[in-house]
Amino acid sequence: MAERGRYLYAVTRGLTGDQLAGAQGLADAPLTTVEHDGLSAVVSDVDLEEYGEEGLRRNLERLEWLEEVARRHDEVVHAVAEHGPVAPLRLATICLGDEGVRQRLVEWHDALAEVLDRVDGRREWSVKAFAARAPGTRSEPTAEVGATGGGAAYLRRKKEQTLSRAQGEEAALQVAEQVHARLSGHAAASRRLAPQDPRLTGHTGTMTLNSAFLVDEDREPAFLDEVQGLRAEHPDAGLELAGPWPPYSFAVLDQA
Amino acid sequence: MSTGSPENPGSTGSTEVQPRAVEDRPLGQIALVDLLDRLLGTGVVLAGDVVISLAGVDLVQVRLHALIATVREEMKKP
Amino acid sequence: MSEVPGGPRRGLLPQRLETDAESVERDLFKLVLTIIELVRQLMEKQALRRVDEGDLTDEQVEGLGTGLMHLEQAMEELKSRYDLTTADLNIDLGPLGTLLSE
Repeated sequence: MAERGRYLYAVTRGLTGDQLAGAQGLADAPLTTVEHDGLSAVVSDVDLEEYGEEGLRRNLERLEWLEEVARRHDEVVHAVAEHGPVAPLRLATICLGDEGVRQRLVEWHDALAEVLDRVDGRREWSVKAFAARAPGTRSEPTAEVGATGGGAAYLRRKKEQTLSRAQGEEAALQVAEQVHARLSGHAAASRRLAPQDPRLTGHTGTMTLNSAFLVDEDREPAFLDEVQGLRAEHPDAGLELAGPWPPYSFAVLDQA
Repeated sequence: MSTGSPENPGSTGSTEVQPRAVEDRPLGQIALVDLLDRLLGTGVVLAGDVVISLAGVDLVQVRLHALIATVREEMKKP
Repeated sequence: MSEVPGGPRRGLLPQRLETDAESVERDLFKLVLTIIELVRQLMEKQALRRVDEGDLTDEQVEGLGTGLMHLEQAMEELKSRYDLTTADLNIDLGPLGTLLSE
């Protein structure tokens, strides 16, 4: 007989299961809520064969599985966000029974309440910046046929190339710093995430900035204006804006 | 495209936002790589080996990071 | 060689060099060339470092430079023989970044 667990998607305030009638959990299971002290955890039943420790160890390395779970998890978070401030949880937070969920709510109560206050009326925006030059694209070979000078001159040219490339990288990083600083001025909170692997993003350039900003809804126009302004000032930085999203990057719980 | 309204604070659409440039994503949609970064919390990391296969049969796995480590050791010698 | 479909790469798996009987020569050549290119770039970096350290004679510097110049020329010729660019050779190592840094 398959053991079941409770998959925890997000926490919000004062929500009941029937309010989420439109949305479904993983494997199309119905969503329910577990209440404690003003907090509502949104959960659904999952098979521990798939989501228990052993199952997760297997499945977390399978992209098809990850994609399906992440997408459904995100749909549920979006559905919850329609009703008020939401603290999304990380992927695959599994509890044993409603009692297990309630225990988490007890344990994390103050941290969760703080998160919900922090994200109320605010949304996440993602801004990325790139270096103009792609890794792996080499400048012209230094040794052209009939090149002047001998070996020493060749080495000097190589040295110059190295230096100018380093300067270019330095300049790109400084632009990234400036972008982050200027946009942080319009946000309630900001976070820097690790640059993403070009193989995953399909980008040819090096990612110099991967920032998340928590922006008050009424400060959004000013924030977006700043992005446009920065784009105009740094056309080579390939600034990418995405959002608005639920506050994934700002719901980090220390215990998690 | 956008379906939210200003008075619904949690919604992922917004009508007061300016039109996006072509390269921006549609409102509310999160690229898988961004979603996994946030849901997994560690940033996605890919394995660093190359597997050579022929006619669909995996034959050889080249552990390139081991190769680099060896070369670098050589470079430390005076 | 069968390439991963265009657009943002979705694979989280180790990069596969799918070969078939027809393209196996080119694909293996590409792998070999990549390793040679890696070694060549490391040699160049090391040579520049030694020149900077200032403990080489003018003759040694000249010899190093000429040798590396010939290596670069040879590399360009090999690449063009199989119609490969440096970007083609740039195998990714995940956490270690791309194989060729420039």
